[in-house]
Amino acid sequence: MSLYSYLLISIIIFTIGVYGIITQRSGIKILMCIELLLNSANLNLVAFSSYNGNATGQVFAIFSIAIAAAEAAIGFAILVALFRLKDTINLDNINILRW
Amino acid sequence: MFSEFAALIVLLPVIAFVLTLFLGKKLYSGGALLPIAAIAGSFIISVGIFLEIFPNDGMVQQSFPWFAGMNIGILIDPLAVVMLMMVTFVSLLIHIYAVGYMSHDPARPRYFAETSLFTAAMLSVVLSDNILQFFISWELVGLCSFLLIGFWYHKPSAAAAAKKAFLVTRVGDVLFLAGIVLLYVNMKLLVDNGTLVMESQSFILQFKTMFEAIPLIDGTQLTYVTLLFFGGAIGKSGQFPLHGWLPDAMEGPTTVSALIHAATMVTAGVYLVARTFPMFVATPSTISTGVPDSLLIVTYVGGFTALFAATMGLVMNDIKRVLAYSTVSQLGYMMLALGTAGTVLGAKAVGISMFHLISHAFFKALLFLCAGSVIHAVGTNDIREMGGLFSKMKITATTMLIAALALAGFGLPFEGLGIPIMNIGTAGFFSKDAIIEGALEYGEVTHDMVPYGFAIIAALLTSIYIFRLWFMTFTGKPRSERHSHESPGVMTGPLMILAIFALLFGFSQAGFYGYVEKNFELMDVKIAVHEGEAFHPSAFVILLPVIVGVLGLLISYLIYNRRRINMSKLVSSGNPLYKLLYNRYYEPKLGADIIGVKLTHDVVAQSGEFIDRKIIDGLVIDNIISNTLLRLGEIVRKLQTGVVQNYASVTIFGIALLLILLKLTFGGP
Repeated sequence: MSLYSYLLISIIIFTIGVYGIITQRSGIKILMCIELLLNSANLNLVAFSSYNGNATGQVFAIFSIAIAAAEAAIGFAILVALFRLKDTINLDNINILRW
Repeated sequence: MFSEFAALIVLLPVIAFVLTLFLGKKLYSGGALLPIAAIAGSFIISVGIFLEIFPNDGMVQQSFPWFAGMNIGILIDPLAVVMLMMVTFVSLLIHIYAVGYMSHDPARPRYFAETSLFTAAMLSVVLSDNILQFFISWELVGLCSFLLIGFWYHKPSAAAAAKKAFLVTRVGDVLFLAGIVLLYVNMKLLVDNGTLVMESQSFILQFKTMFEAIPLIDGTQLTYVTLLFFGGAIGKSGQFPLHGWLPDAMEGPTTVSALIHAATMVTAGVYLVARTFPMFVATPSTISTGVPDSLLIVTYVGGFTALFAATMGLVMNDIKRVLAYSTVSQLGYMMLALGTAGTVLGAKAVGISMFHLISHAFFKALLFLCAGSVIHAVGTNDIREMGGLFSKMKITATTMLIAALALAGFGLPFEGLGIPIMNIGTAGFFSKDAIIEGALEYGEVTHDMVPYGFAIIAALLTSIYIFRLWFMTFTGKPRSERHSHESPGVMTGPLMILAIFALLFGFSQAGFYGYVEKNFELMDVKIAVHEGEAFHPSAFVILLPVIVGVLGLLISYLIYNRRRINMSKLVSSGNPLYKLLYNRYYEPKLGADIIGVKLTHDVVAQSGEFIDRKIIDGLVIDNIISNTLLRLGEIVRKLQTGVVQNYASVTIFGIALLLILLKLTFGGP
């Protein structure tokens, strides 16, 4: 497959992620969409790495995966805390940051 | 070898400050040992440096570039090294004493941390090799005095006294800063037009560069600069008219008073004038014949303060206030010495003044610590409630008597009378007699005997008030039922050491003068000295200071011990003179009520408030600006929904828009 196909898949995944973040109401689903964004970026990195015959992008992707794991852990922890506080993780009901 | 560690003199107490502040609670006696060890270290280094530079008339100079043509550095010349030894030694003894004195106070870590920083700041003042660093340390000293005077901040009077000390000295500090700015402007001009050539490794506000520039600076400008500097000294050293904060500073613990009045803070003002002394001497003479303008003002302010403060010392009933006025008066003497002796004897004036400064530090620290010992035992500051303490507190009473004798200047001037025996006397005798003699010689040369009159009358009053204090405290019958006892050894030990110095320090006079006089020669500064025939006063004149001292003792003895003279008529609220003195010339009233309330609050603040609230706020802001903004805000704030996803949508939309715009503008694949 050419580089173009990888980038196309990456764009599709990214767009799905953005769509999910804007439309979904459940915190968990939004976190999953964020993971999609990250992984589309990873795919991009690996694709370019392979295209250029250079390992840097792959190393970067591994770092990115590790950080994504940490981010997910923190994100879920926040959701758990939020659930204990508000008995919901529906983001429509969590809107105290307003006028 | 000690010279390389000169910076540690300041850094050790600073380290002790940090450690005591954070760890003090867990250590013995609130962490007192840390500052004591640090200041002992500073003392050892100071003495080591003295022993190194004394034999070969050396100096220690270290300097590092800082910013914008300024530097940060160390200068230890004779003037600085004697100060260093005195400050570290007296501060060390006061810290040891404080272990006993503060033993019941719960906030000891804060106390010891602050006194340690206070000492460090003062040492930094002494060590500075440029006027800017001097000023920064000087301000730090002011800050620490504020913290320590207000140490018992829960007492309203202490908080007010701290505020007063800070604000009043601030007046002087602003003048001092203005002087530095004016000096900098003048010197920068000289450097820019090539008149003043700067060597490499020298900086514009360093003392040695300042002294090099003296002949080049316009005389009037030099007078302004020195007078502004002297303004700073007036504030710090409690000279008239900024003396009011010093007696109020008694609200802090007695050990703090001892530290402020003997080792640190107030001596900084005198030290500043001594430090920049060549500039004062070089000012032109316009008012009176042969006396440089600035020195004339130093003379009169100092002489007047010496007398003025002594009169108030006569009537105070608080044991510490008497001593506070005594300090103000003695600082006046030091200024007087710089002014009068500076005119007639040139560089020797610095020796005379510094000698009195150091001997005063010993006996005044001793007086304060004795007072602290008495207060610790009796539990009151009021000497009317004391009395008959001699039998109960023998060590305190004896050491305080020695200090009183030193303050009054008791001694036997054999040499001046032509008897071939060495002069014998207390430290104050040697140091104060030299000042009075200098004032007399000044009178002979300039035919202006007023400063001499100030000095002699103040000497009489000094003797009266200090023996009044001693007799009322230690003799007679106890005037109130109080359980009193001698203080513990950790307090009496420093008393005895200081008493030895108050007795014997005077004998170092000749060597001290010889050493400190050379200070400005070492920096290649010439100080012109009035030429005149050798000065031989008559025997009566030489004896006069001692005579007035003894006279004062006799007067006090008759009034306050024998009770031969009934003072009740004089000391009553009906006597206007007594009222004037007791109310301290209405200075606190003037300062607080008229300047503070009437002028600042009623006139300036009220009219300011009117303009601000009614005109600016009322007409302009309320009606036009703020109302429009408020209404606008009501509308715009609806945009903040609080739903994170709305924000995310807007962000993504914005980025997309930005990308499209970039693509349209710059093109690309």
